[in-house]
Amino acid sequence: MNEDCLKLTAYFAERDRAGDGFLGDALLGVCERHRFQTSVLLRGTEGFGRHQVLQTERLLSLSEDLPMVLVAVDSRRRIEAALPEVGHVAGHGLMTLERARMLTGAIGAVTLPEDLHEATKLTVYCGRHERTGRRPAFVSVVDLLYQCGGLSTTVLLGVDGTAHGARQRARFLAANAEVPMMIIAVGPGDRIRRALPDLSGVLERPLMTLERVRVCKVDGRRLAEPHRVAGADDEGLHTWVKLMVHADHDTRHGRRPMYVELVRRLRAARLGGATVLEGIWGYHGARPPQGDRLLALRRHVPTTTVIVDTPDRIGQAFAIVDELTDEAGVVTSELVPAFRARGEWGEAGGLRLAQV
Amino acid sequence: MTVGTWILVGLLGGTGSVARFVIDGLIGERAGGPFPWGTFIVNLSGAALLGGLVGAAVSGNGLILAGTATLGSYTTLSTWMLETHRLGQNAQLMVAGVNLVASLLVGFAAAAGGHAVGAAL
Repeated sequence: MNEDCLKLTAYFAERDRAGDGFLGDALLGVCERHRFQTSVLLRGTEGFGRHQVLQTERLLSLSEDLPMVLVAVDSRRRIEAALPEVGHVAGHGLMTLERARMLTGAIGAVTLPEDLHEATKLTVYCGRHERTGRRPAFVSVVDLLYQCGGLSTTVLLGVDGTAHGARQRARFLAANAEVPMMIIAVGPGDRIRRALPDLSGVLERPLMTLERVRVCKVDGRRLAEPHRVAGADDEGLHTWVKLMVHADHDTRHGRRPMYVELVRRLRAARLGGATVLEGIWGYHGARPPQGDRLLALRRHVPTTTVIVDTPDRIGQAFAIVDELTDEAGVVTSELVPAFRARGEWGEAGGLRLAQV
Repeated sequence: MTVGTWILVGLLGGTGSVARFVIDGLIGERAGGPFPWGTFIVNLSGAALLGGLVGAAVSGNGLILAGTATLGSYTTLSTWMLETHRLGQNAQLMVAGVNLVASLLVGFAAAAGGHAVGAAL
């Protein structure tokens, strides 16, 4: 199956409430009731939102309300059917809708539309303990993407989610085999496309999405500016932009980890927010795939920093990103055709798709 | 110890840890840099106050309630160690080393200074 779908993403804080429970739980409840093909709840390791309060795993007292990201993907019809309920549950945070193509089942030759030829973002959804022969499936997926010439791949571990319509929540001291993980890869469209049949071969029940993306920087080389969208479409709907910075935990700027310095500077510039997600395995640029090693103090996992904002503020953010990624990291820009930010200060935007 | 003392140990222990959470959080949020100032200042102030209590010859239930219960739960060795480990994971070995050595030396000086002040009261 190969169909046009929507990706709903919610950015909020771990302790945000919805009714009697946590917002994350309530959102997953909606995903479960609507039997979404896939949804993954990710816990960030550092970040801030519109209220400008820093949360970071590095300091114990600042880690009690870490940023959370929920990603849910299904057909446009099914996602749109769930939007009223999602909007009702989510009192705080940022919500976005993006267009994507979903691939499921055995994947043969895929023809990409013109706009996917240049650069593509591939997201593979699979179970935490899914295996290909004796190896974890995610290791095989990352190897295939590395060999085909993908620019960067990051494996993110979900803490809750749905897979093929069923709820899969991670529990303490449990096998958690089916809890979904999300593998995000960026690369030239033709190379990613050629790897698709092999990728579907190493997965039990392949489920992937393809999105168009603009690659702005690779390992210090500046290739393009982030998207600039002027004004609103015919219906008065605005478009926001998403920047993603893929790097390693040990990518440095001066004496500090790059992601730490990036969040610090974005916050100092009073931008709308940023979320750092830490992977468990992956690579960017030419370095072979890696993760943490047993008994090694220094960490070797990939980190992905996500910034979603107005095109103007993304321009400001990119100036900071550009300076900090002078040697390493892959920076991409994507159009976000619908966004809704809501907090104690009020509400902005709405979940109708702008014509991009 | 009476049941009343045990209940007070629980209540004051809770108060101490809430005080740490608030103070550590406020400092950490403002400090910015990589050094865990919140935990550092909490541990130093706790060491100085505990030194002061002992210097002032507070004893018996008073020392249990103010020292063991309140300051014992206010200060934190585990957070100091955890945050030092995190610095190591981020390859900030210099900052990690300073956090270890400075907490030890300045903490010792704070306890001794607190003791002297307490004794002079």
